[in-house]
Amino acid sequence: MSDPAIAIRNLSKSYRLLGTRSQFATLKSALLKRDLKIDAEKSVPALQDISFVVDRGEAFGIIGRNGSGKSTMLKIISGILKPTAGTVAVNGRVAALIELGAGFHPEITGRENIYINGIMLGLSRKEIDARFARIVEFAGIGEFLDQPVKTYSSGMYVRLGFAVAVHVDPDILLIDEVLSVGDEEFSQKCIAKIQEMKYRGVTLVFVTHQLDQVRNLCDRALWLDRGHAEAIGDPVRIVDAYLQKVSGTQTAAAPPASEADEEKKEEPAKSDEAPEEERWGSGEVILRRVALSDDHGRELVALGAGTAVTIEMDVEVRTPQDDFVFGIGIFHADGSCVYGTNTDLEGLVPRRLEKSGRVKFIMPSLDLVAGAYRIDAAVHTRNGRAFDYRRGCIRFVVGSRVHDTGVYRPQHTWEFEGGIEVSATDPLKKNVPAPIAEAIRETQSKKPGRR
Amino acid sequence: MNELQSLFRHRQLIAALTARDLKARYRGSILGFFWSLANPLLLLGVYTLVFTRFFPQQVVKPYPLFLFAGILPWTFFSAAVLESTSSISSNAGLIKKVMFPAEALPLVVVMSHLVHFALAIPILLVATAIFMLLGQATISATILLVPLVMLVQTLFVAGVALTVSSASVLFRDLRDIITNLMQLGFFITPIIYLIDKVDSRPLRALLRANPMTPFVIGYQHILFFGSLPSLSDTLLMLAYAFVSIATGFFVFDRLRDTLAEAI
Repeated sequence: MSDPAIAIRNLSKSYRLLGTRSQFATLKSALLKRDLKIDAEKSVPALQDISFVVDRGEAFGIIGRNGSGKSTMLKIISGILKPTAGTVAVNGRVAALIELGAGFHPEITGRENIYINGIMLGLSRKEIDARFARIVEFAGIGEFLDQPVKTYSSGMYVRLGFAVAVHVDPDILLIDEVLSVGDEEFSQKCIAKIQEMKYRGVTLVFVTHQLDQVRNLCDRALWLDRGHAEAIGDPVRIVDAYLQKVSGTQTAAAPPASEADEEKKEEPAKSDEAPEEERWGSGEVILRRVALSDDHGRELVALGAGTAVTIEMDVEVRTPQDDFVFGIGIFHADGSCVYGTNTDLEGLVPRRLEKSGRVKFIMPSLDLVAGAYRIDAAVHTRNGRAFDYRRGCIRFVVGSRVHDTGVYRPQHTWEFEGGIEVSATDPLKKNVPAPIAEAIRETQSKKPGRR
Repeated sequence: MNELQSLFRHRQLIAALTARDLKARYRGSILGFFWSLANPLLLLGVYTLVFTRFFPQQVVKPYPLFLFAGILPWTFFSAAVLESTSSISSNAGLIKKVMFPAEALPLVVVMSHLVHFALAIPILLVATAIFMLLGQATISATILLVPLVMLVQTLFVAGVALTVSSASVLFRDLRDIITNLMQLGFFITPIIYLIDKVDSRPLRALLRANPMTPFVIGYQHILFFGSLPSLSDTLLMLAYAFVSIATGFFVFDRLRDTLAEAI
């Protein structure tokens, strides 16, 4: 199963300009050459020489301005359009959410439309029977199920379309800007469903203008600009580069990458502990030092569950700002986000960032389950353009005598009433999952001061 | 053979879409399916009136039954072909937004008109029974051959529908050309008259060159005259069906990749 889910090689797509040639000529060309295009100067390039690979189970975002070729890309992957040059290899069953409910017929009922839409998406009648209850439940159309679809509100229409499409159980799900329709509650539900599919190993390809979704859901991103692949890689970084370009500040922040690299070199103590830190930003404001400390101000790399900890950020202001947001994110070693927040989300209105200072993020009790974690810290504008983004600037390990699982440990106790008897034993006797035990051992040898 | 495999894979889709088409068409209308019969019945009435009143010597008796046998297969052919010219462009959303086997669209049109045709057969039988009571008609076992002829005709119609549906996306004038050809075609097919009564040689040759002629004559034989179609007509039907379906798949396959863009 080493085949990637999607492999695109040197792909180009041109659209024909209409109305310049007689219809007979186009028909003849299509019949003889399977191509509408007659001469190169009468066509517009939509995508030019694009290559990338999406691995199985990966979430891949495509961003870019209107007209940059995002939707064309998705249609080519789905097989709706054929490339003008280059190759597309897709392995697995594909479902494309390009327009929700595109196949619905207004005159017939929701029930009948579910069947027809399911068959269109490649299910058999039996397979739809098996999924029917889940589809109806997800769509939440209730008593309207047996009403003609023309009586549905646009929200119900979209919900039903999404419900059918995601229950096809595809290997690859292509999503074109559909999560922005529907109300807040439903888009949350959609995102939860998509995350669930990602967790189950479905390969996702998104086209969206909702850059937050790309940052939060995607493993990698492609930035298309007028049909060219401008950049490809880490989604937070790509989104940031895109925002820099869109807000036209790229020249002002010309040396950000090298500057950030230098910053890293200036701090040997830090780079020692965070060898894999990634850092970028335009550099008007710098997070000179980011550290995790206990309530006595001592720096920590290993801690027990439930410890009181503070994330400290020493902020250096090179150019004063009026628009600034401080954010932190805590991630599990597997890359999943445990928690993320920023000052903007919490309603703190930026007034003035005039001089250097320190920002503290205080957590009275960090209730995490044993494991390895990392912290991202950032200062950026309210629309997400980074001054300084430090991915994985802190790595730490949580140790615990109890081998519970998950990431979050709620404060709790067990109580037993009636005829139930339990007695305490030493929880360390049980087996600790190997990678966690190793992580704990490693940090213990490095920093013996584990609490 | 790829085409036939894909057809087999899409049979559920075609069946479901045909059912949807029929349901959607008649939902909310009081006479429902009978509207699909209204046009052939109207034609039947008009021609019966004209011919029995003005040219009684020209006429085979009972004339309404003779007309009925020819009008039904002609209506199936002309309505399915005409409607298939717009079957792809009127479903542009499916072609552009969903991964959809485009060939299903003209085939769905053909299937739903085939259903109309099949539902009209019982009405023809009732009419025959009425004329039998009047002692003017008999019913023959050759009527059992109707499904076979329908099958061959369906292949023929499907081939034409596949060709014109895809070609008309790229060549819009085709729809108007076909609308007019169908008007003409009705008269150069021996529906309202017997081919044997045509005296002019070139006209007879023209009628013979019309691929719908052997089908209509075939139906008249088994439904009206109670005799078997001639061997040459049978072979012609099979040949037309084969050539038509092969051309249809070939043209459609050639044009398939360009459809989403050209709509």
